[in-house]
Amino acid sequence: MKFAFFQGCNIPVRIEQYADSTEAVLRIFDIELVKIPEFNCCGYPVRNVDEKAYILPSIRNMAIAEKAGLDILVICNCCFASLQKAKNVLEKDSALKDEFNTLLAKEGLTYHGATRIRHYLTVLHEDVGIEAIRNKLVNTCKGLKLSVIHGCHILRPREITQFDDSFVPRITEDLVGVTGATSIDWRGSLECCGAALAGLNDELSRRLLQEKITGAREAGADYVTPICSYCHLQFDTTQVNIAAQAGPETDLLSVLLYPQLLGLCLGINEQRLGIARNRTIGVGDIDHIKSLLAPPVEEKKKKVRQQAA
Amino acid sequence: MNFTLLLTVAVSICLIGIVLRFYVWFSQGIHPPATSSSLPQRLAAAGRAMGGALFGPRLVTILKSIFLDLLFQQRVFNKNTLRWLAHGLIFTGFLLLFFLHALDSLITEKLFSGYVSTLNPYLFLRNLFGLMVLAGVTIAVYRRITLRPQRLKTYAGDWAALIFVGGIILSGMLLEGAKISSYSTFQRMVEDYGDVAGDQEQQALEAFWVKENGLVIAHRKVEMTTALVDQGREISGRSCIECHAPNTSAFVSYGLARITGPIAAAAGDAGAVNFLWYLHILFCLSFLAWLPFSKMFHIIAAPVSLIITRIMGKENGEPANVLTRQMIGLSACTHCGACSLECSSNMFFESFQNDFILPSEKVQFLKNLAAGRELDPDTLKKLQQGLYICTSCDRCTDICPSGINLKELFVSSRYALLAHGIPETSMLSHFSFPLALAQYRVDDHLKALKILEQLFKKSFRVLADMVQPLTLTRPGKFSNPSYRSCYSCQRCTNICPVVRSFDNPGEALGLLPHQIIYSLGIGNVDLAMGSKMIWSCSTCYLCQEHCPNQVELCDIFYGLKNAAIAKIEEGDRS
Repeated sequence: MKFAFFQGCNIPVRIEQYADSTEAVLRIFDIELVKIPEFNCCGYPVRNVDEKAYILPSIRNMAIAEKAGLDILVICNCCFASLQKAKNVLEKDSALKDEFNTLLAKEGLTYHGATRIRHYLTVLHEDVGIEAIRNKLVNTCKGLKLSVIHGCHILRPREITQFDDSFVPRITEDLVGVTGATSIDWRGSLECCGAALAGLNDELSRRLLQEKITGAREAGADYVTPICSYCHLQFDTTQVNIAAQAGPETDLLSVLLYPQLLGLCLGINEQRLGIARNRTIGVGDIDHIKSLLAPPVEEKKKKVRQQAA
Repeated sequence: MNFTLLLTVAVSICLIGIVLRFYVWFSQGIHPPATSSSLPQRLAAAGRAMGGALFGPRLVTILKSIFLDLLFQQRVFNKNTLRWLAHGLIFTGFLLLFFLHALDSLITEKLFSGYVSTLNPYLFLRNLFGLMVLAGVTIAVYRRITLRPQRLKTYAGDWAALIFVGGIILSGMLLEGAKISSYSTFQRMVEDYGDVAGDQEQQALEAFWVKENGLVIAHRKVEMTTALVDQGREISGRSCIECHAPNTSAFVSYGLARITGPIAAAAGDAGAVNFLWYLHILFCLSFLAWLPFSKMFHIIAAPVSLIITRIMGKENGEPANVLTRQMIGLSACTHCGACSLECSSNMFFESFQNDFILPSEKVQFLKNLAAGRELDPDTLKKLQQGLYICTSCDRCTDICPSGINLKELFVSSRYALLAHGIPETSMLSHFSFPLALAQYRVDDHLKALKILEQLFKKSFRVLADMVQPLTLTRPGKFSNPSYRSCYSCQRCTNICPVVRSFDNPGEALGLLPHQIIYSLGIGNVDLAMGSKMIWSCSTCYLCQEHCPNQVELCDIFYGLKNAAIAKIEEGDRS
């Protein structure tokens, strides 16, 4: 399988480890990610200012992928939602489609709507499948408690994103479950990290973030696993910024990305997964996670029995 | 006019220009204000940095930079082979011609004892180098024309640079071609160097040079028998070949001579040679004089910028060097447009029709800001918007072939402009997110947000300030009609994470989510637009997802934000 890899603006310059670990994990399942330098911003940043200016960039990106004959694979929630939204808007508005196509024609591009927008978790869950993942596991990570924060724009509005049940999401539950780790039940899992208010109202933004950090801790989480790149930056950068102002003693809630966890269980080297590049993770954390890694016991027994039979 | 005089004038202008540009490096800057460190302080800081780099382990880095960045042009090579080829052809061809041909009496003669400009390999190489430059210029022109739809902007100065470089080479080749075909040049050379006895031998030599070396004799008929040509070849071998290789070695000029020869002969060949000589010299000397005042100054500035970037990366050094590095960066821009071609904000440029959204256009204009020139309010506003509509993806900085730290330039300029107090509505976009993350100039950012808040207060009346009772008008003025299905259950407000963040949300937010929907219901869009709630919305979509009647609250809030900004921008224009 081959996808056009849409990284957005944040990941290549601020969260390279998210792209690297996703790529490394998907390669194990023979999924190739093609980097396309012509891709531009998804449009999300301008949504507060002008809806039309928000739609156009995603349309160009999809037209580029369409020309290359590829579906798009996305990591970032906001990019994902922007692409899905743009697709949805043009399905209903042919006048706007014509207007944008006239503009795109200048650079030899046309948007038909043929490209599908896929989130990497959906690809892992649907296209690869839990059993296929289980068969490739070298380790499981029993006893690790993760607080997954989905990020809003992947779940809602459900008619647009079409990712999972927006009230009781199963995909992350299954995907964390297969690694042996526990996705804990906590109240922030479906809520907002505050990123959309950063730079506009930092105080409120940080209040929302702090509520999630406290919530995850109280629920007994070892690590937070943000799905969205904006959530990641809130937990992995803003949290550090807040701590720096609060004093050197502040305890941080460490970030562990899902493909980093899955990568470890698939036997991928931690350097390649860029775990140490998460700013909130310390050497102790990495040792802790590694100490929990153990070969998947039951599976081996089954295999032995099958061989004996 | 005398050549030495012209040369002296051109060299003087060039030197004065270079000194002026150097002065600008150390006297101007964007932010912090140039007054923060004096000229001597900046010179001293630059000296310290240079000393530290030259006498230390960084010397290896510098040498690496000279080979990889300056000579090999690695940054361009990694991005675009065609552009690398164009630059490489022009750069190599032009430099070799400059040192080996223009400065032949100073360099080539000293290096190669038997140097005569009409001998091979010199005759051949001059043409080869010239052809390289012309090929490079052709690719560059092709690139500028074909990439126009990809938002590559071309100014008169860009064309001028290509015309100058191409003109120098073409006029040189035409001059050589004219000399090849010129009978008077031939005669002068025979008189000076030839060993020809009598008219018959002269005729034989002429026949041979007409036949095989491109000479054109138009004023009389030349007898061209095989025997005469053979005799001419023999005489040529005896008296010319020692110092003059066959003209066919100058393969381009020779070809040109075949075309231009008859025309030059008809117009007067001595005059043609003379005219083309002046043309060639004028092209060369005016290019030299123009160089420091144009983008061609990158010949000096780009290597400096690349070495600094190789050593420092995106980090800033000593504060006194920050401004100097900004200025070196600005002067190193070649307006190649590589940054704009890959700018992640390129589609915002299409939507907002503001040239300053493209990084290449910003850099070009920032020189005016650095020089402290008075800018009219419209331009200032456009520049400010262009600086703000940026995803902070840093692609431009990574791509720039001149190694300009564009990211730092843009951040500094952004806050330098915001300090003027012109409200910037783009601050309310998520372009502010990476700025908040990086915590650039937090106080300046807050101050600029305050200005915006005041503008909102001025433009919209809020519920708390109203004394008159609200009047009902007909609803239906708002683009998203889903608000009409609201049946006032207030589920939206009850689930909102922002509302629950405040002890007194009504006061803090102006209107609560359900009240915004009510405002639309009574036809008062302005009241909704002016509420602080829409700007405090975390866009989590919980309200919309939980609404039992499918009111698209979050989408409505986006619509209100767009409308509020449009209204403010409109008010600002009128």
